[in-house]
Formats: sequence, C-alpha cells, structure tokens
Amino acid sequence: MSEPISVGVNLDAFSHAISGIQALRSSVSRVFESLKDGMKNRETLEGREKRFISEFQDTLQAVNRDLNELERLSGLVGRPSESHPLHNSGLLSLDPVQDKTPLYSQLLQAYKWSNKLQYHAGLASSLLNQQSLKRSANQMGASAKRRPKVQPSTLVLPPQYVDDVISRVGRMFPDMTIELFRPNGTSAVLLVTLGKVLKAIVVMRSLFIDRTVVRGFNENVYSEDGKVRLTWAVKTDLPLSLLHYQLPQMPDVVVRSFMTWLRSYIKLFQSSCQRCGRFLQDGLPPTWRDFRTLEAFHDTCRL
Amino acid sequence: MGVTCVCPVPVAEGKSVQQTVDILHKKLEQLGAVKQGSFCVDCETYQSTGNTGGQPSKLLYVMHNSEVPLSCMALFEGGPCLTADANFDVLMVKLKSHFQNAKGHKVECRGSRYRYCDFLIKVGAVTMSSSARGISVEVEYCPCVVPGDCWNLMREFMQSFLGNNVPELPTVFAAKPEGLFAPADCVDTMTQYLELFNKLRKLQIPPSNVR
Repeated sequence: MSEPISVGVNLDAFSHAISGIQALRSSVSRVFESLKDGMKNRETLEGREKRFISEFQDTLQAVNRDLNELERLSGLVGRPSESHPLHNSGLLSLDPVQDKTPLYSQLLQAYKWSNKLQYHAGLASSLLNQQSLKRSANQMGASAKRRPKVQPSTLVLPPQYVDDVISRVGRMFPDMTIELFRPNGTSAVLLVTLGKVLKAIVVMRSLFIDRTVVRGFNENVYSEDGKVRLTWAVKTDLPLSLLHYQLPQMPDVVVRSFMTWLRSYIKLFQSSCQRCGRFLQDGLPPTWRDFRTLEAFHDTCRL
Repeated sequence: MGVTCVCPVPVAEGKSVQQTVDILHKKLEQLGAVKQGSFCVDCETYQSTGNTGGQPSKLLYVMHNSEVPLSCMALFEGGPCLTADANFDVLMVKLKSHFQNAKGHKVECRGSRYRYCDFLIKVGAVTMSSSARGISVEVEYCPCVVPGDCWNLMREFMQSFLGNNVPELPTVFAAKPEGLFAPADCVDTMTQYLELFNKLRKLQIPPSNVR
C-alpha cells in the first residue's frame, strides 16, 4: 500500500476507531463467555436465575454501548478517497497477495511511464516542428531559451468532444454514414458505411484511430473473416494509411484526412488504374489509393 | 450474392457444342481459375388452362438453380417472380387442373463452376429434350452489389476469356434506376436465364410454333 492517504482521513479518529473495534470484540466475547459459564452457584433457583439474567443484560448493554461508540467514531474517520486514480482498476490494490500478483503496482508504473512518454513526445514534437528549413537563426535562438509550452493531453478527451468531431466529419461526406457505438467504456467504435461499396469498423482510443476492419457491403460485418478477397486486399492497405496520417497534436485533422482517404474508395469498382489503364489485375480492381492525390492504382502498379 | 450476368456464346465454327465448352474451360484454366464442381439450371414450362376469351394463355416458368438448391423460382415472362421452397414442385402437381405441364419444353443447362479471385464463372451447355441447343456463360462478381458500378470491370474480365463475344449490359439492369442493387435472391439471374432459354428455343423451331 504505497498509496498516499488523502487529507480527508483523520488519523487520530482512525486509531480511536480501531480501539473501539477491539472494545466491541471483547464485550461480545464476554457475552458468549457468560453464556458458556451458565448460572453461578447461589442458594435458591430464583436467585441463580435472576443473577444470570442481570449479568446477561449487562453484557448486552455493554455491547450496545460499544457499537454506538464505534458508529460515532467511524463517522469521524471519513470516507476513503472517492477519486480512484485508475477508476475500477484501483480496486486491484485491495488484493492482499502482493508478491505473487503485483498487478496494481505494475499497472501504476505502466500508466506513469506512458504519461511521461506522451509528455516527452509532445515536447519533442514541438521542438522538432520549430526546426523548419529557414535560413534565419534568430527564431531558433529565442525559442531555445524559452521553455516550450506543454500541450494539453490529447489522450483524455471528453466523449462529447469526440462525438462532435465524428458527427462533423460525417456531415462533410453525404454518401458516407458513420454510426458511433460505445460498447465497452469510453472508447468509440465507428461503423462506417461507404455508399453501397464497403463497410468498415474503426476502433478509436479517444480521438486516435486504433484499429480498422473492412468488409464487403453484403457481408456480415461481425463475422470472423471476410470471404471476399477484395476486402482482404483493402484491409492490408488500411494500416499503411494509419501510419501515414499521423499528427499527435491534432487528432481531429487526422480523423478528417483518414475519412477523406477512405471515401475515395466509393468508386472502387468504377475506376481504372491510373498507371496501366485497366480495371483488373489478377482479378482485383485498383485497391490502392494514393495518400496525397487519392488516385486509384493497382497494388502492383503503385510501385 | 453479387452482380450476375448471363450471356449466350455462339458455337465455334466447325465445332460441336461440347468442344466449344471445352475450349472455354481451357481458357479459364489458363487464366488461373479453379474448378469448383458443377452446376445445373433448369426450367419447366406450365400453361394456365383457365382461358378467358381469346387471350393467349400465360406461360408460367418454374426454375431451379443449384446455387440455391432449396429454392424454386416461379415467374412469368416480364412479370412477377415468386421465390419458394423446393416443395413448390409438389404444389404444382396438385394444381394440375389449373396449370398444364408442357413436358416437351423442359430446358436444362449443365456445366462446370469455376472460381477466379472474386469471380464465379459457370459455363454450361443448354439442352432441350436431350439435344444441345447452345452455350451459356454466367459470370458473377461477388463483392459488388450495384450493377452500374462494376459493369466495365466485368466486361473487361469477360473479354479476357470470351474474346469478342462480350454482351451488352443486360436489359434487366438497364431497366432498373441507377444505383439499385441486385437483391439477395436470384430473381435477376433467373430472369436472364429465362431470356436466354427462350431465345435459344426460338432459334431452331419453325416460326409458326411459338409455344
């Protein structure tokens, strides 16, 4: 438990509460002890019974008192910190077997590392962007002394913002419909239907595109693997496009350019290759779209 | 189901139907297509007996396609089409009083089925009363559902193994408004087959007998 305890917890009240618990435990055990011992030896049966009942009542009242005391103290202790740093994964810290499954500490370290990495990447990208091919060195001298401004983290964006960006992009292209789902948590999953040509599932992490799956128009989108060879060919081009459209600081520009590129596939069956002029090469139409000019090429013709 | 095009192929000069079919098979195999079994499309003609006045009785065609073995299609030429279970044949037997089976008019098309990338090609010989009448070629492009989009693509493909016998855009697709896609059942395919069978039927029968 290397977690720093927040200010809301009163340490004194904590120790009082712990001793209150001990007092309660002892009074409860006293109740059971008196029951176990039974009636003490007295002259008459009535006397014995009376004595026993009065002892029993005393011990029960002691338990009651201790319980009330404990409730009062627990009110003073305060609630544990509401803001779990990792939401539900913070509950992993309650696992007592630390040395065998150090999941929580590893998780914390992983998150700290990725946050640090992102911070450094932001700094590096802002520095590198300043390295433009200009002849004058005055600009660079001034900024080298100034600490570059830290960009706000683009990884944690409110879902509403993501929804807005996606709907704006969807409105840009009338023949492309984008449906947004959030099946597990805050990551958005988009179902993009491109005219009557193909369907794609795009999994996003806040506003960054994580993974894409492409299917033909009349295929079942959720089935394991597409049967049509054409979508297999398009599927291998998609990760290349994801690598090409990269801008860590402006993810909405990335989303827009990716959708523009994807939309160029609406004429998948109608366009002929720009290089060889034919429609088919090995039975496939031109499945490659140039990243800048959006022209159609066969897979072998683009080289 | 993708966009399907059915077209007749004229028999090569000085060769029989079977030989021309073999030539086509060889061309397909040279392209790199893989044989995937055989197919059969057949068509039976029924004539409605309830004849009111001088109107010629309408002909009902009941067709089967091995691509959808559990279905049976019943259509009027240029009219509505019904897709039913295979038990429809038994129903037609029970409707003997209303629909007479023209037994000599059964047309069949049998041949091999090839697969090339995303294309399905079926080359078959059309036979009527066990005499070969012609050759039919069916090309299906599976990924696309809009005929207008991929017609040029299919034409180029058909040119690669049919040479100059490439047909025009089938009338079934030309009649539809732009952008409407081929439905999942094979109504369009069957309509094209029916047109082909009727064309072949009229070719070698004396013109006075239209039935």
